[in-house]
Amino acid sequence: MAASGQSERRVVITGIGMVTAVGIGRETTWEALLNGENGIGPVTLCDTTDLASRVAGEVTDFDPLDFIDRKQARRMDRFTQLALAASGEAIEQAGIDIEARADEVGCMIGCGIGGIQTLEEQFKVLFEHGPSRISPFLVPSFISDMAAGQVSIRYGARGPSYNTVSACASGADAIGTSFEVIRRGDAVAMITGGAEAGVSRMGLASFHASRALSTSFNDDPDRAARPFDIDRDGFVLAEGAATLIIEDLECAQERGAEVIAEVISYGQSADAFHVTQPSENGEGAARAMEIALGHAGIAASEIDYVNAHGTSTQLNDKFETMSVKTVFGESALSLPISATKSMVGHTLGACGAIEGAVTALSLRDQRIHMTRNLDNPDPDCDLDYVPEGVRNVDLTYAMSNSLGFGGHNSSLIFRRFDG
Amino acid sequence: MRRVVVTGLGMLTPLGNDLATSWDGLIAARSGIGHITSFDASDYEYPIAGELKQFDDEAVVDRKMLRRMDRASVLALAAAREAVADAGLDLAVEPSEDIGVVLGTGIGGGHLIVENQRLLDEKGPRRVSPFLITQMLPDTATGLIAIELGANGPNMAITAACATGGAAPGEAAEIIARGEAEIVIAGGFEAPLRPIFYAGFHAMRALAHHDDPTMAARPFDAERNGFVVAEGAGVMVMESLEHAQQRGAEIYGEWMGSASSSDAVDMVAAADDGRGVAIAMRKALKRADLQTSKIDYINAHGPGTPLGDRVESFAIRKVFGEDANNLMVSSTKSMIGHMMGASGAIEAMVALLTTKHGVVPPTINYANPDPDCDLDYVPNEAREADVRYAMSTSVGLGGHNSAIIFGRWEGE
Repeated sequence: MAASGQSERRVVITGIGMVTAVGIGRETTWEALLNGENGIGPVTLCDTTDLASRVAGEVTDFDPLDFIDRKQARRMDRFTQLALAASGEAIEQAGIDIEARADEVGCMIGCGIGGIQTLEEQFKVLFEHGPSRISPFLVPSFISDMAAGQVSIRYGARGPSYNTVSACASGADAIGTSFEVIRRGDAVAMITGGAEAGVSRMGLASFHASRALSTSFNDDPDRAARPFDIDRDGFVLAEGAATLIIEDLECAQERGAEVIAEVISYGQSADAFHVTQPSENGEGAARAMEIALGHAGIAASEIDYVNAHGTSTQLNDKFETMSVKTVFGESALSLPISATKSMVGHTLGACGAIEGAVTALSLRDQRIHMTRNLDNPDPDCDLDYVPEGVRNVDLTYAMSNSLGFGGHNSSLIFRRFDG
Repeated sequence: MRRVVVTGLGMLTPLGNDLATSWDGLIAARSGIGHITSFDASDYEYPIAGELKQFDDEAVVDRKMLRRMDRASVLALAAAREAVADAGLDLAVEPSEDIGVVLGTGIGGGHLIVENQRLLDEKGPRRVSPFLITQMLPDTATGLIAIELGANGPNMAITAACATGGAAPGEAAEIIARGEAEIVIAGGFEAPLRPIFYAGFHAMRALAHHDDPTMAARPFDAERNGFVVAEGAGVMVMESLEHAQQRGAEIYGEWMGSASSSDAVDMVAAADDGRGVAIAMRKALKRADLQTSKIDYINAHGPGTPLGDRVESFAIRKVFGEDANNLMVSSTKSMIGHMMGASGAIEAMVALLTTKHGVVPPTINYANPDPDCDLDYVPNEAREADVRYAMSTSVGLGGHNSAIIFGRWEGE
């Protein structure tokens, strides 16, 4: 397909909020990432004595009551609470008056699973006390669109609102779909991102059952998330949320908003290969990157930084490396690539949003964070993963890639904003 | 912007396991609602639901695959196959990158978490299914359909509670309109008849009750008392007009526009003034570039809840003004129940079919007019009518709303 060219509207990022395993708040998280801090630790949110994977990226010290009143908080699953915290910060930074154009501001928060913790609690109620004791808030807490719903409600955003689900690409697809919503004129601004709170007994047991989780570093959690390292043995389950305020450039300029970075394109593809494994040689991921480059109208060699999906599983990191080589050819060798999951773990439906936020902040500050724990290089992963620490760079274009179970691939390209 | 048409339909409803049977049932004003047979519901005074009849999951996928898929995905796959066959698509010649899949669901296979939880608690983590994650994720169905069709284009699920089924085809159409794909398999699916979710809806006091299950779903009637949970799937093949014409496809009708919105009021109750659904209707009309007078029929969300039907009627009056007097409005949930994330898709397809067949399905069980619901609900009998443009609206928990408009295909 040719680039759509459907409108001349430009879309910029004017607010970011983040809640991750390395910090509550945008700048706290960003500083920690630049410092190469570890967010992975022993699981505290549930009993893990009989579980194979006992490490996770938890948002420690998260108190929902810092963001939401007690009565409301009780009616929400943790993923929705995380989304509200991140969204509040993003909206505050953007300084946008949502009430003034409520019908033109929408909300899409990607989430892969939904309220798994609520479901686990309610299962115990059903099993032990029968259906009459089930909470009337079970359904509205569990369903995965509720982060988008509750954020819309809190901030009075009456524009387009839903959750795009594509497993671990959900957050990226929420940002990409929101970008298209603004470009086609359905909204002037979107509150968009991702949220997930899957660190629970069931979450850990079921991802382990699908043989996806790290199990060798239970006694050394600091080293468990090691994308592109030869000793990687699976991803580290994590929770978190990130929200971006993206808006029509004209709208942002009219109100004098400070622009963090510009969203310039979005590419999406399906492997159509296997439900849990990536397609051979990462060809699906390569196609998403190529589509995004095509829409952006730039050559691969113009991309200055890639924030990788980099999960720390054997297959993902190997195939993702191959896909980058396919798309970037010779220029892959001089391309810095880093994996945020090396510090915050894998937040599933939220990761595309967290990594999108990180990519935007990289453009803002002209600095990129390292891939932590890359101690022993893997001959199959032979690119520049920024292993040594924070790096000052000259960035114009940066790409963020997300790949999900089910064969979903999404690629976002952002540009430095110079006014 | 490119024009988008519909060239294939597939449907599974409590009235039939394919499009033709379901449509015939709707036009014959039949109820597909009955007592629950798919799980033990003896704890409930009124165990009522809209179940598929004699639907054989094993006729869709083999036993080995069935262990790896939730019923929700099975329904999606079955409806997608019917739609693709109906469209006469030759997948061998279509470029795979030009075919996308965008389906909506409210819950996906979430109930499997519950079943596996019991295994986890009683027998330990080793007994948890290796397929649980993919079974429960809402987007597994879109991934599986892509694998079966070899569809490498845009692929995702959308969840917006009960507004999902309207939002997904809208987003699918926009993907085609902006040139990202030539064909998108679009729709919604849901298999919510599971004890944990039934208990949840019951706890919300949202479910309809009546001694005769076929009379439980009574949208817009003064004695309505809730909705009836149902299962099903609706999938359509949406295609760029250019592509459909090039391959000589038969066209059902044209997508004119769609929109979604949020009430931004409450996570359960609809906004009292119906403002959210009104925004969705207005924006869809704007996207379609149509005046309210052009719309002949609305397939309403009409769940049968006291508040929902009143608010929706109010919103239609507010948006359509005087034109509301010349508008037919019916709720097919009176016959097939509320299929959550599938409803919006099936109802969008029903709206589309009224433009092709010139007949509007009724709202059945309509006996007692409610002064707060004062539109023409096409009571109890289908009506022949010249429908040029038809709209379908959907409203969901969390304040999500969607509206989608189709136009009659007249060969131009």
